[in-house]
Amino acid sequence: MKFYVCIKQVPDIDAPIQIKNGNLIQDTDRTVLNAYDASAVEEALVLTEKHGGEVEVVLIGPNQAKETIRKALAMGAHKATHIETREESYDSSVYASILASFFEDKDYDVISCGKQSQDTDAGLTGSMLAEHLDLPYSTNAVALSAQNGQLRVKRQGDAGQELIALPLPCLVSCSNDMNEPRIPSLKGIMQSKRKPMETIALDALEIDESALEAKTAVTGYREKPKREAGQKFEGEPEETARQVARLLDEEANVV
Amino acid sequence: MSTLLTHIAISDGKIKRSSLEVLSHLRRQAEQHGHQVEAVIIDAEASRYTGQVQQYGPSKIYTVENPVFKNHLNAPLLKALEKVIEQADPSLVAFASTESTKDILGALAAREEAAVLSDVSTFELTEEGIRATRPVMAAKILSENEARGDMILVSVRSGSYDLEEQASDAEVIEIDFSVDDQDLRATLEEIISSSGDTIDLSEAETIVAAGRGAKDEKGQQLISELADVLNAGVGASRALTEAGVMDPSLQIGQTGKVVSPQLYIAVGISGAIQHVAGMASSKVIVAINKDPDAPIFDIADYGIVGDLYDVLPPFIDELKKIAS
Ligand SMILES: Cc1cc2nc3c(=O)[nH]c(=O)nc-3n(C[C@H](O)[C@H](O)[C@H](O)COP(=O)(O)OP(=O)(O)OC[C@H]3O[C@@H](n4cnc5c(N)ncnc54)[C@H](O)[C@@H]3O)c2cc1C
Repeated sequence: MKFYVCIKQVPDIDAPIQIKNGNLIQDTDRTVLNAYDASAVEEALVLTEKHGGEVEVVLIGPNQAKETIRKALAMGAHKATHIETREESYDSSVYASILASFFEDKDYDVISCGKQSQDTDAGLTGSMLAEHLDLPYSTNAVALSAQNGQLRVKRQGDAGQELIALPLPCLVSCSNDMNEPRIPSLKGIMQSKRKPMETIALDALEIDESALEAKTAVTGYREKPKREAGQKFEGEPEETARQVARLLDEEANVV
Repeated sequence: MSTLLTHIAISDGKIKRSSLEVLSHLRRQAEQHGHQVEAVIIDAEASRYTGQVQQYGPSKIYTVENPVFKNHLNAPLLKALEKVIEQADPSLVAFASTESTKDILGALAAREEAAVLSDVSTFELTEEGIRATRPVMAAKILSENEARGDMILVSVRSGSYDLEEQASDAEVIEIDFSVDDQDLRATLEEIISSSGDTIDLSEAETIVAAGRGAKDEKGQQLISELADVLNAGVGASRALTEAGVMDPSLQIGQTGKVVSPQLYIAVGISGAIQHVAGMASSKVIVAINKDPDAPIFDIADYGIVGDLYDVLPPFIDELKKIAS
């Protein structure tokens, strides 16, 4: 099976963030492989280890994102393509257009990606790309298996889960509930340095100017109004528990 | 004057309250800006719901009725939306942000070449499109966004707006719709329903959420007793859904559901930012945790420091007394 996994470098949300003049400033330039994409890489590796095949990762981003590609290669991906961009603020539809143009002349069984980016939580690019490429797709997958030339997806829906069989080629977006991504081994890290990584300049893809124009823009950031910590009760559980129960009734009026 | 279209989501034979929240908001926006608001219901029994939707004041209701919509499948849903959009020619289509919406929103935007903003917490119409607020960075930060274009799609978090009725005698327009196997593109083989009689967490007034601290059988027993007394929905942290202790549909947080109940009781949950991302807009938060430094206490209105096995029995007992 040939897997392409679309991956993204995202700021580490655990690192301290500040807002200055409406811009997000991170004191560190700590970046990570998007957790949802890491699950997509992991699952592609598991399926190709079982059924044979190849995993190639594709990343759109500036030069410094190579670090993230190397992480995926160290996990075990066989090769990588880096679509190098200047640092511009693209929205999901621009990312999807770039990827669509990249995949135009490619052969594959499955394109996978994370269900959303950890930083923006937009969750749009996957199904946009499927639409551009006219592929059957599923989102929010929590388990994958391959059988009889199909990809079988367990999708987390609103209430229950759905088992969906997709004909190949197809696209699937993955939840981090799918697996626990492996930590690269020392050997994996060594090997990753010798794995093929092709860099394509964005211009080389000859994408229509209009497809590179974002239809949405972030105009600013602000702190979320902080919730104040309320009353904290330490002491005899028998007493504090009853006291809080009564406050929920008499003070907060929520029971 | 242009048309603002609201998608009405149906789940378990009921209209999702969050869709009516969106419709209420859109109607107010339409009034302010001189537009008209319309609604679309896509369901196996779509016509059953038109009466209730009329209570919220759209000027037209489109129905697309077909047995294929008994279960969610993205390809026929997209085909139906495309047909309705062709007919209604809206400048804006608004959705409640459900898993079904998340499944199709990007694809629909690509198909319609529309600008799209997902999972917003508020939005307003502007001259060129919309302005919207979205929580980002695991909901630690709010981003301000603009979307422009001839057509804009937006999905809205549940609990963002209040319901407001304003009855109309909206015209009901049935859209002719058929599907063949080719349209399906994928085969839905099985539905694994979530266990137990679950209360829809996105609509629940009260939620009792269990974390790793309440992992064992006794903890689970206490959680369900507490939920029973309060007539609450049960939710969980990822620690418990991951361990298979709780149904995966019950996960609350960045990966799971976003909820905004009146009362949220977090039991044995540390308060990791990815969990908090899903529950921080609850009106009243109660935390029960034996670690006085657990981050959940930073956002709790009432924090009880103690072992949940000691705290819950008297807590439940007192709530029972209050209820009777
Ligand atoms: C991309 C990403 C997405 C994520 N999405 C989600 C999500 O949607 N939802 C989510 O919940 N998590 C999510 N997580 C995971 C999250 O980071 C935490 O790991 C998880 O929320 C921890 O669950 P917990 O609080 O139950 O467990 P822990 O962090 O282990 O906390 C257990 C708590 O229970 C307390 N405790 C233990 N025993 C007792 C007792 N007897 N009495 C009282 N207190 C006790 C402890 O003091 C501790 O505070 C995500 C992580 C990532 C990276």
